Amino acid sequence: MNGVNLDQFQFEYDLTWMAIFQNAAGQNYARYGGREDDDAESHLSKDSLLRVMKQVLELHQSGGVQADSKYEPLATEVTTPSAIPTLKTMMEKRKDSTCIHCHDIKNSRFRHLHNTNELKKSMVFTYPSPSLIGLHVDRDQQDLTASVDRDSPAWKAGVREGDLLQSSDGQRILTFADFTRVLELAPSEGALTLTVKRDRTKKTVTVKLPPNWKKSSDPSWRPSVGMIGPGGGFWGKSANDQQRKRFGLRPDELAIRVTFIWAQHAKDAGVKMSDIVVSVDGEKSNMTMRQFHAWLQLNRAWGDEVELAVLRKGKRITLNMTLPDGPSE
Amino acid sequence: MSESERLCVAILTFFLLCPSAAAQKITKPAMQKIDGTITWVYDYEKGQRISKETGKPMFVVFRCER
Repeated sequence: MNGVNLDQFQFEYDLTWMAIFQNAAGQNYARYGGREDDDAESHLSKDSLLRVMKQVLELHQSGGVQADSKYEPLATEVTTPSAIPTLKTMMEKRKDSTCIHCHDIKNSRFRHLHNTNELKKSMVFTYPSPSLIGLHVDRDQQDLTASVDRDSPAWKAGVREGDLLQSSDGQRILTFADFTRVLELAPSEGALTLTVKRDRTKKTVTVKLPPNWKKSSDPSWRPSVGMIGPGGGFWGKSANDQQRKRFGLRPDELAIRVTFIWAQHAKDAGVKMSDIVVSVDGEKSNMTMRQFHAWLQLNRAWGDEVELAVLRKGKRITLNMTLPDGPSE
Repeated sequence: MSESERLCVAILTFFLLCPSAAAQKITKPAMQKIDGTITWVYDYEKGQRISKETGKPMFVVFRCER
């Protein structure tokens, strides 16, 4: 992202891949990319890419760029990553690379907001998937509604399987990524208009957005989640079936075997290699290592005290961990 | 070459990759074929110039190599 104009290229910086179709003037036709929590390639496929490429070629012939709007603004200023106050310090401490990654943009913005006491945990849930309003977009034809969850906001608004997405709040939707761009700027509670085509007839509905609708169930894939709260300071692997059987742990119970300890707060708490972590502040549901960190980062604050229960040499031990005061440099 | 492959080629492709030089002192890699078919351009302004000259749209890709 070195030197990239962030006013012009606004997208989900937690992603590792994103594409935008533009004309020579830098005006957007469509976006392509994005993901669901549980699948990094949920909306990437050759068929869908070819489909949107054909649509973009047609739009290019007819001059159909997205109008200048809050969703696809024409950048009048140039704001590069170097304008983010905390990014320079972050990059100076990085010895192995001078490459500014996409996630560095969001992380350094979060670090700045942390420093100014403006960071909220809800900010991690950017570019929400339409599945959060119950609307599941087809992977290969991304303007097609593949299914709608019964009684979801989309369902209550009257959207149904097979509906062709046309626009939302006036913004054209060709792809999953186009839709997430609209949802990114949609209110955290309120309403959103959505125009669909069914049986050759266009219909505009209003989708009611309930409180916290942008919050997804498993943001552990997001690099930015590491900036919104403290992690455990160690790494590990989910215990396998044999280990679970040996320790009498069910498949739905937390069981993470510690394989690497890097942070002082984990060492100070007494976490040891090969410990099996079985609960954190009483939470015993099964989690991957990333999910465990994300649980702490979302549910605990910097400087909090937490209680870990671990199995060590067959005995259950309670460890008290003081989480760090803020994100590490 | 299939129809779909021709379509891919028909769209001007543009690719942003992190430079190896220090931040803001950007060394832009030369145009190159990654898969033997598509010539990727690593310079946005150059991509815009080619887009204008050829009358084709740009396919701007951000890819993170971690």
